[in-house]
Amino acid sequence: MRRTVRLLTGAALAVAAAGAAGAPAYGGSSGSLDVYPSTAAPGAQVTVNTSACGEKGSAVGDASSVGAGTFTLAPSTHEGEAIGEFRVPPSAQPGTYEIVAKCADGTRQVTGDLTVALTPAAGQLQPHGSVKTGVGGALGTDPVQTAAGVAALAVAAAGGTWLLHRRARGDAF
Amino acid sequence: MRRIGDTAIAAVTVVALGSGVYLLGPGSGPHDAPPQPAAAEGRPDPGEERLEAPALSASPPTRIRIPAIRVNAPLMGLALTAAGSLDVPPAGEKNLAGWYEAGTTPGERGTAIVAGHVDNTEGPAVFYDLGALKRGATIEVDRRDRSVAVFTVDAVEVYQARNFPDEKVYGAAERPELRVITCGGGYSRTTGYQGNVVVFAHLTGSR
Repeated sequence: MRRTVRLLTGAALAVAAAGAAGAPAYGGSSGSLDVYPSTAAPGAQVTVNTSACGEKGSAVGDASSVGAGTFTLAPSTHEGEAIGEFRVPPSAQPGTYEIVAKCADGTRQVTGDLTVALTPAAGQLQPHGSVKTGVGGALGTDPVQTAAGVAALAVAAAGGTWLLHRRARGDAF
Repeated sequence: MRRIGDTAIAAVTVVALGSGVYLLGPGSGPHDAPPQPAAAEGRPDPGEERLEAPALSASPPTRIRIPAIRVNAPLMGLALTAAGSLDVPPAGEKNLAGWYEAGTTPGERGTAIVAGHVDNTEGPAVFYDLGALKRGATIEVDRRDRSVAVFTVDAVEVYQARNFPDEKVYGAAERPELRVITCGGGYSRTTGYQGNVVVFAHLTGSR
């Protein structure tokens, strides 16, 4: 057990060192492989993308761990990312699989995890109920404005009363 | 002398009455209530449904644009709350909408869901004018694979929270469809907005 841990630590250090050595050449581009969706059902289409291969860098993807074989990540204009896709075999078993992409120039390799779960599309978890997307901040009158309005109406009422009284008394208007 | 006094009082009375009515009158708040859809927007015109476009492959959306109501906002991923309702973007960000990340991506076959705030404590937010959207309007969604999914609005409805039609709003669809949701349906000071405005749209193109 201890030996395993040591081996894994060594491997991790080696990967970290390789990453550190490779990084400057790509101006600090991120070194991971985005897998979308990260959880997929057997038969589903999965998209992966990475910026690790630099501008206009393509890569070879390997999804053989889940039984999908190799595929190509083509460069896209989107933020210098290489994008590819593969289909999870309908026979894939639930579990977590490592998806690997190796840059075409051979300098760099990135990985990402794909979780296969047996959730049929029809049974996909749906939200339910209404959505809380407002607090009423766009409406409702300012309290200061309300107070000013009430005060103005009070003045109007007083003035009106005064004038009506004078009229009732027959004074000159 | 008295005559001048009376005239002054009459003038003040008229001005005070006018300003009082103005200050307390409808629509005098910082903003009016957000627009709500007319009943006609919920009725599909027979035979008028635009052509359906073939479904796109899955790709997460990055931005939503609704030119008719001047919406152009980035999209963040949304999960479900503990209660099972769709979570919402942080209220402080007024020009940010979200999409249900565990569901269908916009353009893919099925029902993709986008939600955003109608307002926050500061005032109107990203989907303030959603209820004013009309059938036939265009909604564009930018996706990470650089494609743009173009949807056409089929209906704009308002539903009360206590009788929310989950299946109609969130249920699976045979073709690529989109729902855009925000708050609406009347406002009460104690319980807030009474429901949601829901826009139903389907994919009619891509580029």
